[in-house]
Amino acid sequence: MTIAIRATDLVKSYSPGLNALDGVSLEVTTGEVLVVMGPSGSGKSTLIRTFNGLETLDSGSLDVLGVRLDAAHEERQVRAIRERVGMVFQQFNLFPHLSILDNISLAPIKVQKRAKAAAEQLAIELLDQMGIREQAHKYPAQLSGGQQQRVAIARALALDPEVMLFDEPTSALDPERVKEVLDAMRQLAKGGMTMVVVTHELGFAREVADRVMFMDQGRVIETSDPQSFFSNAKEERSRRFLSQMM
Amino acid sequence: MNRWLDRWLTLMLLALLGWAGWSCLHWLWHGADWTVVVTNLPLYAVGSYPDAERWRPLLCIVAVVVLIVITLLGPRHGGWRRSLPLLWSAMAPLGIWLLAGGLGLSPVGTQSWGGFSLTLLLTAGSGLLALPLGVLLALGRRSDLPVLRGGSTAYIELMRAIPLIAVLFFGQLLIPLFLPPGVEINRVLRAVVAFALFAAAYIAEDVRGGLQAIPPTQREAAAVLGLSPWQSLQLVVLPQAFRVALPSLTNQAVGLLQNTSLMAILGLVELLGISRSLLANPAFIGRYLEVYIWLAAVYWLACTAMALLARHLEIQLDPVRSAR
Repeated sequence: MTIAIRATDLVKSYSPGLNALDGVSLEVTTGEVLVVMGPSGSGKSTLIRTFNGLETLDSGSLDVLGVRLDAAHEERQVRAIRERVGMVFQQFNLFPHLSILDNISLAPIKVQKRAKAAAEQLAIELLDQMGIREQAHKYPAQLSGGQQQRVAIARALALDPEVMLFDEPTSALDPERVKEVLDAMRQLAKGGMTMVVVTHELGFAREVADRVMFMDQGRVIETSDPQSFFSNAKEERSRRFLSQMM
Repeated sequence: MNRWLDRWLTLMLLALLGWAGWSCLHWLWHGADWTVVVTNLPLYAVGSYPDAERWRPLLCIVAVVVLIVITLLGPRHGGWRRSLPLLWSAMAPLGIWLLAGGLGLSPVGTQSWGGFSLTLLLTAGSGLLALPLGVLLALGRRSDLPVLRGGSTAYIELMRAIPLIAVLFFGQLLIPLFLPPGVEINRVLRAVVAFALFAAAYIAEDVRGGLQAIPPTQREAAAVLGLSPWQSLQLVVLPQAFRVALPSLTNQAVGLLQNTSLMAILGLVELLGISRSLLANPAFIGRYLEVYIWLAAVYWLACTAMALLARHLEIQLDPVRSAR
């Protein structure tokens, strides 16, 4: 078992006296699906945003695919990680001025210097895998939320990442669109992708996660396999959260 | 009771408008003497450009008009459409070459440039200089480096606090003082530079508005895909910011065209300068109305063409609308 991400004692604060991350340590092994849950403001989004350098650290250190990030890391290290770690946001964040095809092939062409034809071929294959091949020549505004999020997943996959980060990927979707996105993620997990998923989808966590991590107020409250987390959570705080969710 | 008053008022107003309109039309057809315009059309087009070389500025004007017509009415897709940006960007160097000469054409000094061709050149020249400068200023104003941010902000605020005419006079009188003796920049170039320095401050604010309209999440999305900050700016942020800023940039362009008339005060014989020198000619004494109506019509036509082009560009740049 190799370690994809190792976090050691991460501390991050936006305002003095209030830590968004208050000493978080964890390990994600290669091929594992880790679901991070917790009430809003618990620091779970901040946590996964530190994994690819979107948030800086006040102290502590990260080892992401062998690259070290800490309070004093350089931009170069972050770039090295971002080419190997894909990310999907709550609000999709597609580029509205580019077609779906261009959204997906932009980074392969500009960052990996692939040939345009090859990059577009790959984009079509990924769209096919996401079940939205026929949308290739449309623009983001013409797609439903669920379709846009699947494009965002395809865009991240186009760089052939070793780890995928999902930051509440279904929270901005209509309820009837949630399933199509979760199905795409399920498929990805089956293919052996290392995934860290921040979500409130209990069903997805129970079914797909290898481990569930519960956070509150910037701290890890508990980490366990989904079976025992959902039926028999160790901590009182986790049980209270779960009782409100169900 | 009220109804009768309304009817009566309406009729009276219609009669008044009709009478005013009729007398205007009557004056335009019968009262006005258009010889001052008709006989001087070549002067309006090219100024006092040497007779033998007049085809050069005329070719400039014709090329621009043809390009406008093709852009607005030409085919929507295919090779023509794709080569249009190239043709448009070739227009400026081509125009300068045709006017100034050199490289096979006999050189013509800027003192002989004039008329509509000079107005076009002043507008295009200062606009093309001001746009990149304005973008740099806008980026500078949003920079994290205090020196850059402070400098850009100070420049923008200073330029916006000075009237254009003062900047133009500074350009004519002060720039030569800073140059070593013997080096001389000609009047047209000085005017274009001063004009561009002024317009850049306003363009910078329009572009900044566009930049602010782009959510920071776009930059994040570009960053996590491994794009460098420069790539993110060039491929993701600026293209979107320009779309947002386009209507206000159009405003600036129209203003630029109209403000070139201020150069007449500096002694350049663009459209207004030509008109003033014509009115000073004893042969055309008192023909103010004719000359200024003609002038207004020419400016109106030029500005309308610009506005139409801008709207066309807006539609072309809107992916969803242009796909229809």
